[in-house]
Amino acid sequence: MKSLISIRDIRKSFNGGELYGNLNLEIEAGKITSIFGPNGSGKSTLLNILAGIVRHDGGIFTIDGFDHREFSYIFQNYRDSLLPWRTNFENLALPLEFQGKSREFIAQRIDELQKLFEFDCDWERYPYELSGGQQQILAFLRALITRPKLLFVDEPFSALDYGNNLKLRKHLQAYFLAYRPTIVLITHNIEEAVHLSDRIVVFGSKPAKVIASVDNPLAFPRNIDTLKSEAFHRTKDAVLNAFLKTETI
Amino acid sequence: MKKYAYVGPILFLLIWAAITGFHLVNAFFLPSPVAVFGKLLKIFSDGGIFPDIFATLFRISVSFIVAAGIGLPAGLLLGGFEKAYRSLEFIIDFCRSLAPLAVFPLFMIVFGIGDASKIAVAAISSSVVIIFNVAYGVMHSKKSRILAAQIMGASRLQIFRSVIFWESLPQIFVGIRNAIAWIVLIIIAAEMFVGTNVGLGHRIIDFQITYDLPGMYAAIFLTGVLGYVLNAIFALAERRIVHWSGK
Ligand SMILES: Nc1ncnc2c1ncn2[C@@H]1O[C@H](COP(=O)(O)OP(=O)(O)OP(=O)(O)O)[C@@H](O)[C@H]1O
Ligand SMILES: [Mg+2]
Repeated sequence: MKSLISIRDIRKSFNGGELYGNLNLEIEAGKITSIFGPNGSGKSTLLNILAGIVRHDGGIFTIDGFDHREFSYIFQNYRDSLLPWRTNFENLALPLEFQGKSREFIAQRIDELQKLFEFDCDWERYPYELSGGQQQILAFLRALITRPKLLFVDEPFSALDYGNNLKLRKHLQAYFLAYRPTIVLITHNIEEAVHLSDRIVVFGSKPAKVIASVDNPLAFPRNIDTLKSEAFHRTKDAVLNAFLKTETI
Repeated sequence: MKKYAYVGPILFLLIWAAITGFHLVNAFFLPSPVAVFGKLLKIFSDGGIFPDIFATLFRISVSFIVAAGIGLPAGLLLGGFEKAYRSLEFIIDFCRSLAPLAVFPLFMIVFGIGDASKIAVAAISSSVVIIFNVAYGVMHSKKSRILAAQIMGASRLQIFRSVIFWESLPQIFVGIRNAIAWIVLIIIAAEMFVGTNVGLGHRIIDFQITYDLPGMYAAIFLTGVLGYVLNAIFALAERRIVHWSGK
């Protein structure tokens, strides 16, 4: 196992309140790792620390060969990260514009991605004219437009209906198999976590810590039949049981 | 809702007509609407008011161009370098609080009594208003979009051009509209002093000296129209450009 991200004894407090005492986690290269855990367990904060947006108080982490041009991060509040003064097309083009890519290159990338994800909208209109779910897909596609080697996604499907959610999971797998990025996915949906990931890391809160790590050996691509399979349910139950160890519901 | 907009003005005219019609106040102080609008028609038809309108518009336009030319770049720059802004904050706040006409006599000594001193006072004092608002807009732009751009690996300049500038655009418009209001106020007032024979402010004083009160009301009304139209133009531009506001 080759880990891309190593997290060792990371400590973090907010206003005197300790969030993590010592957090340890390894994230493998070229795999999809899900983080599953309750509200306030420090999932987003962990990604923020790794992305360099939030400072940690102690411990170290390393990300092999980290390069901003090969890294994307979709925030939990994806809506606030779309630019309302840019059209949908221009929003999607933004990361490539920053990298100084040509118009033709950008147009081609957008075309490819749009086809791969079967996503269409009025490209000359603005994000505030899209539905919440469409905005979320747009923000998601914007993160993929650079074909990042490392992708952080925080609740990327939270605003989607079940059908669109399944559709996007399918397309994301196709994308993943084509480009093999390392993906860290935060989700509140066990089914989504098990469907998409090689490994599910279960977080507990107060204090936040990793309480379990469940490997998921199912082969990609995983389709609707996989969702109904016994192997799928075994993994799902394992995650649920780990979760129930700390949560009383 | 638009149709209700007419109610107020019509009511106002009716009450005004009633007051003068029933001689409730001395007709010398408050001429009838007919007298005022008759006078307005006359100064337009004999062309006598045009030089004044053009002179005032010219002074306002030049003041605005100078104010924006100083205020926009300075505000963007100071906003971008927050430490620089903080160092100058007291001076900017002080200048903003200073009544512009207080420096008019000084400016007359420096720039002479002609248009230059009027324009200088209006331009400089309103550029401070623009600087303040633009810098404020830049410094208080929402962090989430800036962070998103940082994550994409954008340079500082790219972030400024593609995010911060747009993010502060609504506040830039606040500055511009405040500045226009200031400029109209200062130019009209300055025209009442010395050093000019044309301008709406000068006309108001002229009519006052000759006790031509319908003329004075007409000139005051024109001044109001001027301010209103200028504001409306920028409000329209703002709605067009900042199309995402409130969404
Ligand atoms: N900027 C901040 N200032 C103070 N406290 C913060 C800040 N950011 C996060 N916290 C606290 O840290 C804890 C973890 O927050 P975080 O956003 O990482 O949780 P999360 O696991 O992503 O939760 P959710 O599932 O609700 O998204 C919360 O209790 C929150 O109040
Ligand atoms: Mg979160």
